[in-house]
Amino acid sequence: MQYLLRRLGFFVATLWVALTINFVLPRLMPGNPAEAMMARFHGKLSGQALSAMEVAFGVKTRSSPVAQYFSYLGDSLTGHWGTSITFFPSSVRSVVDGALPWTLGLVGITTIIAFVIGTLIGIVGAWHRGGWLDGILPPVFIILSAFPYFFIGMLAILAFSIKVHLLPQGGGITNGAMPSLSWNFIGDVLAHSVLPGVTIVVTSIGGWILTMRNNMITTLSEEHVRMARAKGLSSWRIMLDYAGRNALLPNLTGFGMALGFVVSGAILVEYVFSYPGVGYTLLQAVLNEDYPLMQVLFLLITVAVLVAVLLVDIITLVLDPRTRGT
Amino acid sequence: MLTAPHDPPGAKAPRAVVSLSSTELRGRAITRKRRGRALTSFGRTLVGSKKALAGATILFIMVVVAIIPNVLAPYSPSAEVFPPGLGPSGAHLLGTTSYGQDIFSQLIWGTRVSLVIAVVAGLISTFLSVIIGVSAAYLGGVLDGILSLLTDSFLVIPAFPLVVVIAAYSNGGGTPIIIAVLVVTGWSFGARQLRAQGLSLRNRDFLAAAQLRGERRLRIIVFEMLPSMTSLIVANFLGAAVYSVLTAAGLEFIGLGNVNTESWGTMLYWAQNNQALTAGIPLWALAPGLAIALLGGAFALLNYAFDEVSNPALRHVVLTRPHRHRIGRQRAS
Amino acid sequence: MKINRLIGAALVTGVIAVASPMLAGASGSAHRATDAHRATDAHRATDAHRATDAHRATDAHRATDAHRASGPKGTLTISNAEFLWTCGFSPYNASSALLAFGPTYQSLMFINTMQNGKVTPWLATSYAWSNQNKTLTFTIRNGVRWNDGTPFTAADVVFTFNLLKKYPALDFNSIWTVLSSVARLGRNKVVMTFKSPSVPYFYYIADQVPILPQHVWSKVSNPVTFKDTSPVGTGPYLVKNCTPHNVEYVANSKYWQPGLPKIKTIEYPAFTSNPPANTLLSTGGAQWGFQFMPNLKAEWTSKNPGNKYWFPPVVNVSVFVNQKKDPVLANVAVRKAISYAIDRARVAAIGEYGYELPANQAGVVTPTFNSWLDKTQLAKAGYRYDPAKAVQILKRAGFKRGSTGRFKTPQGKPLAFTIISQSAYTDWVADLQVMSQELSKVGIQLTADNLAGSAYESDLFTGNYQLALAEETGGPTPYYEYRQMLYGPASAPIGKAAATNWERYQSTATDNLLKRYATTTSTSIQHSIIDKLQEVLLKDLPVIPVIEQADWDEYSTTSLTGWPTPRNPYAQPAPQVVPDFGIVLLHLRWK
Repeated sequence: MQYLLRRLGFFVATLWVALTINFVLPRLMPGNPAEAMMARFHGKLSGQALSAMEVAFGVKTRSSPVAQYFSYLGDSLTGHWGTSITFFPSSVRSVVDGALPWTLGLVGITTIIAFVIGTLIGIVGAWHRGGWLDGILPPVFIILSAFPYFFIGMLAILAFSIKVHLLPQGGGITNGAMPSLSWNFIGDVLAHSVLPGVTIVVTSIGGWILTMRNNMITTLSEEHVRMARAKGLSSWRIMLDYAGRNALLPNLTGFGMALGFVVSGAILVEYVFSYPGVGYTLLQAVLNEDYPLMQVLFLLITVAVLVAVLLVDIITLVLDPRTRGT
Repeated sequence: MLTAPHDPPGAKAPRAVVSLSSTELRGRAITRKRRGRALTSFGRTLVGSKKALAGATILFIMVVVAIIPNVLAPYSPSAEVFPPGLGPSGAHLLGTTSYGQDIFSQLIWGTRVSLVIAVVAGLISTFLSVIIGVSAAYLGGVLDGILSLLTDSFLVIPAFPLVVVIAAYSNGGGTPIIIAVLVVTGWSFGARQLRAQGLSLRNRDFLAAAQLRGERRLRIIVFEMLPSMTSLIVANFLGAAVYSVLTAAGLEFIGLGNVNTESWGTMLYWAQNNQALTAGIPLWALAPGLAIALLGGAFALLNYAFDEVSNPALRHVVLTRPHRHRIGRQRAS
Repeated sequence: MKINRLIGAALVTGVIAVASPMLAGASGSAHRATDAHRATDAHRATDAHRATDAHRATDAHRATDAHRASGPKGTLTISNAEFLWTCGFSPYNASSALLAFGPTYQSLMFINTMQNGKVTPWLATSYAWSNQNKTLTFTIRNGVRWNDGTPFTAADVVFTFNLLKKYPALDFNSIWTVLSSVARLGRNKVVMTFKSPSVPYFYYIADQVPILPQHVWSKVSNPVTFKDTSPVGTGPYLVKNCTPHNVEYVANSKYWQPGLPKIKTIEYPAFTSNPPANTLLSTGGAQWGFQFMPNLKAEWTSKNPGNKYWFPPVVNVSVFVNQKKDPVLANVAVRKAISYAIDRARVAAIGEYGYELPANQAGVVTPTFNSWLDKTQLAKAGYRYDPAKAVQILKRAGFKRGSTGRFKTPQGKPLAFTIISQSAYTDWVADLQVMSQELSKVGIQLTADNLAGSAYESDLFTGNYQLALAEETGGPTPYYEYRQMLYGPASAPIGKAAATNWERYQSTATDNLLKRYATTTSTSIQHSIIDKLQEVLLKDLPVIPVIEQADWDEYSTTSLTGWPTPRNPYAQPAPQVVPDFGIVLLHLRWK
């Protein structure tokens, strides 16, 4: 119980840190959104028009910073996220709603794929230590994971959509495609997600291999595995059932958190492929100085991770009795 | 609490594939070592492992290039004096950009800034990690609580989005800003590991002995604790360097750095903006991309090899002693 | 234009006016588009066209009976990287104006910035100045209907202008700073009274104000934030479908100009970056685009003999010299030396890929405003690229060249300046790299400080810079840009934001020239004033024009005809320029 309380305390404290960073950063900036907008009209706006816009954007406020801070906290937590500047007058919420499914779909699925493949390679690699598979795959993927995402993305574009016109080089769907539940539309969405998806899998698999392989090696040396060997159980059974399962437990923690990180998307991958998800939208917001949108996206990403961490904590509490004592 | 949140694939810039789960293992293995031994083992790693040798060789070549670009580069990196968009030739090994600059010369000159960012940001983050991690471990109590909370908070706040947001707010202030951003978002990982190891060291015999001899706290930390953590500190530096290389390149690539500097990330930015891939000048983008990958890969290889050495469990095929392993959540307090 | 867009269009603004939704107002006459329409099936279905007495349409094309019989057909696809659509169509919203103003909403007159402000009647049939150019009277067209069937009247016009008065955030061109009232006169006249003679405002009032339906917008609680998802306009197109990835327009079968439009369907997909949009164009999937292509020949013109482009210049990109900030820059010799030392042709060739033209020190954008350029004066003043002359001018002014080749002031201060620029405009960043190399040849050090959007704007507006690479907005004659650049009262002291005139140039004589222009409708007087303004730029060099920003426009003549071309420049050619977008759509027809 105490453990759980402490974890909740951590959740709240970190959320507060993130909220505060989010509040302070824009206020350190010169200018404000209305000024930025005025610039886009090349100064033809009168002072009166400017103040009218400031009201429209909700940036004109005479209240003290402290009062602003508390109303900001309240608004953030209750979903009153204001109006996007890039997509004015759309609400920030509708922009987020439009971007979220793309990222959840692309990054969520590729995270699961990378986890499954990486874990399997890790298990088999550790089991046949020093074998050909262990000698090739782990080092290759670990080096690949040190490659910049966008580099792999560019290579993929060059190879599969410029040299060979196999797959689209960017975007979420073909222009003009109307969303529907038809095979054509689904196929179109899938075709657009292949290159970014493969890029994410290839660059993220190394981490899973490394952790799983290390866990597995450690587990293999444990008594119950040796016992199983001594009992003469089949290799497969020992590898997957005895060692693999135990080694997997700690890795699930990382997986849970990775799912939390899914929301932040693979920002650079989405950028290179112009994939209309959360990461791409965040960069749009940054480049257009759309502070309301930027703040909400950053908050959303952080909350997703925090919630994942909290869930992992709770699951661990249930699965691992040792934590209850501490 | 969460340990080493293994940088989730989905979260940008894979910082350090490194150390992940082996942290605790390594912590235990290292506690046995006394000062000096870690460095020796580092040296041995270099010689003994092909991976380490490969990593060190790449790094060495890059250091040389970074020191004498003026000797190696045939032309000025910025002079727009050649016909634009030339293919590779004897005169222009990698061709020319859309602005008529020599790509090979840009690549050579770009080594310096890219390497400096990696090393400086890596060093400063590691320094911060050591200060905060070791202090937390040694001081204990409420201070430890506060420092740990701070560390853990920074650990879970998604780094790349934060980096992007900070860089955007700071208006492309150039290399110093980038380094600052990398440090702010990069120290917490190491601090957490070092704190964990510090805690396990706290009650070791040699520290107790030093305390009995009446040595001052600071002295104990600097002369007794730190040396025995050398190997973990080096590993952390390597991890932080990989993180810095990739993140800085990412930032520059999307235009959040100083677009007038000569670095690989900036080359990528210009290449992307001039649609080098479709304009028939793919080398403009591929060459710096590969260079970044090589630099990141060199650090990662060293780290991987180093991880194997400092963690005996991973090195020997036949384990001599059973190892209990708990990953993840292991909160010392 | 901003060649290089970072993410899709987002950053690109610039010259091309509306590069990204938000940037819509960026340049030239480009902004604001409107269009509305709502297509309830009811009206779409019924009614072939009804040619009421509406056809007074003075518009260039007037449909023959044969055309009328055929009806609109086919699909035009526009391929350009914007960001995803919001599916709002308010013409008073920078992010949707380019989708609405022209196809759906229309203005009183169409003023062609490519033909010295040639006026074509649109929703008004005529206009007249009176009372020493302090009263402007429009005669409103009869027989026009909103696309929901309600008749369009003078009351709608009065309502629209008074809405801008009530909501200054909608008044992008600050017309209510000169207007004092707008009222209806009789059945079909609208009378506007001005505080003082304001002839040039005619452009903003007649061409840049999309007219709204009173019966719809009077019920809108907040017009500033109104999204307008099913626009009710008078224009030739209705919005049929909209998703964030595509807008589909269909011809308004009850459009008031008989026989128009000729194109039945318009697809306007939203691309998030240039390459896929370029691919769609070059593979023939789209017929119209306005964006940067790194290799125009390989990607566009060589693909099909019908693929053409036209990049007409609209406004100058200049070095703004903040003389109040730096006394060294207040020395005209330094400004002259800079002007001589810049090889404008090279800047245009390298930084702009040769797609944009070098500017001239007189500040008249050519060839667009060729008839306004005082060639004798310009030739006499010189200002061709001449580094030797730059050095000579500096030496004569008492500057000494040090051992490193760098010039120093008589007090020993090196001639070194920082120039601010927008980091997002990568072509400007590239331009500055060329310019610093050139200036260093004549002993002047130029350091580029590429700032992010609001930091740049903040410094530019408040005068916190030595030199700035910047552009003002243009209009149908060079006057508009000169006024933005030079009008003293529009400026502000250093530290306070200036609406325009960011270099803070002050000259009573120049202000009087600009004021006089505003009082006259006589072209010969206007010409003599513009000549004198050219003299100001040539003698005083308050700004140093470097290149001419252009509209980008790639179009296919394979199956379509009627595009604006250098020979027939009936409108600005790029689809993001409004309301010109709508004018082009009305001219297009299938071969």
